[in-house]
Amino acid sequence: MQSSILDSIGVEIIGVMSPVSICMLVVVFIVYSLSSSSPFSAASAPPIRTAANLVYLESSSDSTSQKFEGALLNALVFVILIAVVTFFLVLLYYYNCTGFLKNYMRFSAFFVLGTMGGSIFLSMIQHFSIPVDSITCFILLFNFTIVGVMSLFSSGVPIFVRQGYMVALGIFVAAWFTKLPEWTTWALLVALALYDLVAVLAPGGPLKILVELAQSRDEELPALVYEARPTVSQNGIVQGRSLDILVGGVSDSRSVEMQAMSSNNADQNENQNRANSGYAVIQDTNFGNMEGVQRRDEGGRSLSVDILHERHSSSSSSSEYSTVVGNRDSEIVVDEERSPLVGAPEMRNGGQQMRDGLENSDVSNRGIKLGLGDFVFYSVLVGRAAMYDLMTVYACYLAIISGLGCTLILLSVWRQALPALPISIALGVIFYFLTRLLMEPYIVGTATHLMMF
Amino acid sequence: MTVAAGIGYALLALGPSLSLFISVISKKPFLILTVLSSTLLWLMSLIVLAGVWRAFLPLKSTTWWPFAILILTAVIFQEGLRILFWKFYKRLEDILDAFADRLAKPRLFLTDKMLIALAGGLGHGVAHAVFFCLSLLTPAFGPATFFVDKCSQIPFFLVSAIIALAFVTIHTCSMVIAFNGYAEGNKVDQYFVPAVHLVAGMVYFNICAGVLYGCGHPGDGLETGSINLPPDITNFVHVD
Repeated sequence: MQSSILDSIGVEIIGVMSPVSICMLVVVFIVYSLSSSSPFSAASAPPIRTAANLVYLESSSDSTSQKFEGALLNALVFVILIAVVTFFLVLLYYYNCTGFLKNYMRFSAFFVLGTMGGSIFLSMIQHFSIPVDSITCFILLFNFTIVGVMSLFSSGVPIFVRQGYMVALGIFVAAWFTKLPEWTTWALLVALALYDLVAVLAPGGPLKILVELAQSRDEELPALVYEARPTVSQNGIVQGRSLDILVGGVSDSRSVEMQAMSSNNADQNENQNRANSGYAVIQDTNFGNMEGVQRRDEGGRSLSVDILHERHSSSSSSSEYSTVVGNRDSEIVVDEERSPLVGAPEMRNGGQQMRDGLENSDVSNRGIKLGLGDFVFYSVLVGRAAMYDLMTVYACYLAIISGLGCTLILLSVWRQALPALPISIALGVIFYFLTRLLMEPYIVGTATHLMMF
Repeated sequence: MTVAAGIGYALLALGPSLSLFISVISKKPFLILTVLSSTLLWLMSLIVLAGVWRAFLPLKSTTWWPFAILILTAVIFQEGLRILFWKFYKRLEDILDAFADRLAKPRLFLTDKMLIALAGGLGHGVAHAVFFCLSLLTPAFGPATFFVDKCSQIPFFLVSAIIALAFVTIHTCSMVIAFNGYAEGNKVDQYFVPAVHLVAGMVYFNICAGVLYGCGHPGDGLETGSINLPPDITNFVHVD
C-alpha cells in the first residue's frame, strides 16, 4: 500500500519542536527539583548580580512601582549590552576574523558546560545524594565538556551529538537565567523579543547584516545554532522517497533562524560579567548546510549519484520536493547534473506553487536552524512559569510551541529569515497571566467541587 | 512512596492516552501537530470560560443550580467548539487532498481521516486531564494527601485521576464519533456526542451534589455547608 501523505507532512516542524520541548522539560525538572535545595533556593540565596540585573537588585520588600522601574531598567541595560556585543561580533565577522569568532564560541561553550553545567550537576548530586567521588566527577565533567567543545564546529562529529550538546547548552544557560528575580525576568523576556524583532527584520539590524554577510560568503555562520537535520534515515519509506528529492537537498537548504548565544555564566565573580554575556541573534536564509557546502566544494556539480543518495537518505525526510523533480527516476541524473544555481530557482517556483496549497508543508526547509537563544528564552519562560504552578507550565508550553509553529508557517510563506522569539514570547506571556489570573481560580474552584466537564 | 503515589495518579489519568500517543500518534508528525493544536484550542476555550465565570466565583456551595448552569454553559461552549473544529478540519482536508494530488500520492484514506479525528479528540482529552488533574497533582508528590469535603473517603487526587481518565476516554472517542457523524450526515451520532458529554458532566455533578449515591456513603455531599475551601493546609492529612 502506498504511504499516505500524513507520514510526510510536518517532519521538519516536529524536528524543531521536539528538541525545544526536551529543553523545556529538562529546565522545568531542574527548576522543580532544585528549587527546594539550598544552593538554588530563591529565598535563601542572596540575589546574585549578573549582567541581566546590573542596575537594580530586586528584593521582595520593594514596592510594585519600584520593581517595575527597576526591571525595565535592567532589561534595557541588558538589551543594550547584547546589542553592543552583537555589533562587535558582526564587526569581527565583517573583517573576516572567523577563526577568532569560532574560538571565542568554543571558549564560551567550554565555560558554560564546565562551570554552569558543573554547578548544576553538583547541586543535582547533592540533592539526590548520588554517591560519587570528586575525582570521578571531575573527570566525567571534563570529558563531557571537551567533547562538547569539539563537537561545535567540526563536521566529524555525528550531528546527533552536536544537537545534544546544543540542547544541553540551552538547558544550562536557561537554568541559570531562571535564578533572576521575577519582575526582571518578565521585563527581560519582553525586551529581548522586541530586540529580536528589530535586529532581524529592520534594515541595518545587526543580525540581518550578519546573515547577509554569511550568505554572500556562502559560509556557515560562526554561531551557536541548532540544526534540525534528521539524524538518521528514519525508515524504508524515506529511503525510497529520497530519490525524489535529490536536487533539493543539495541546492536549497533554508534555515529559519539562527541565534547565537554565548552567554556566560556570570558567576559569582561580579567582574567577569561584562563582555562575556554576549548574545547574538542571527537569522538567516542560509544556503546549504555544512555538509552540503563541503560536498559541493569537493565534487562540484558532478557528484556521483551514490553520494547524493546517501546524503539524502541521511539528511532529509521530506517529500515535498517530489513535485519539482517530478517523481520520475529517469530524470534524476539530469536534474542532478544541473548546477544548484539553476536548480534553486526552479525549486522555489515549485515550492511556491505548493505553498499556497498547504501551509504546513514548509516546502524547502531542509535544515531548519534555530538559534540557541531561542531555546534559552523559551525555557526561561517555562522555568519561570514552573515556579508558580504546573498549570501555568502547561499553558506556557502550549503557547510557546504554537508560537513556534506560527513562526515556521510564516517562514514557509515569506521565505525569509524570521525572528523566533516575538510570537512565542508574546503568546507565552499572555497565556501565563491569563492562566494565573483567570483560569487557576476557576479550575481550582470547580475541581475541588469534583466538577469536571 | 509519595513520588510513587504522584506518578501513579498521573499515569492513572494519562497512561492510556500516553500509550495511544506513543503507539499511534507519534509515528506521524502531522498527527502530533493535530494533537497540539487541539490541545491549544481546548485550553483557549477553558480560558474563555474562566474569563466569563471569573466574576461569579467563588460560587456558593449551598445552592446547586449555579453549578448546573456552569456545567451547561461549559458543555454547550465546548460542543460549539467541536463544530468549529470540524469546519476547520474540512478545509484542512481539502488542502491535504489537493496537496496529495500534486504529489501524485493517494488522497486521504478513511483511516487517515479517523486518525486525524482521533488525534483531535486525544488533544481535547489530554488537555482536560492535564488541566483538571495533572496540574492539581503537585501536592500529591509531597508527604500528604488531600480530601475534599464532598468525598471524604477517597483522596481527592485519586478521584480526579479517575474522572480525568473517564473524560479522556469520552473526549477521544466522541471526536471520532462526531467527525464520522458529520461526514456521513448521521444525525444520531451528531446528537449522541453532546449528550454523552452533558450526561457525563451532570453525573459527576450529581454525585458530588449528593443526588446520586456518590463517593463514600449516601448523603455525603449535601450536608456539607462550607466547601469553598481552597486546598489549604487544614484539608491535608498525613499518610506517612
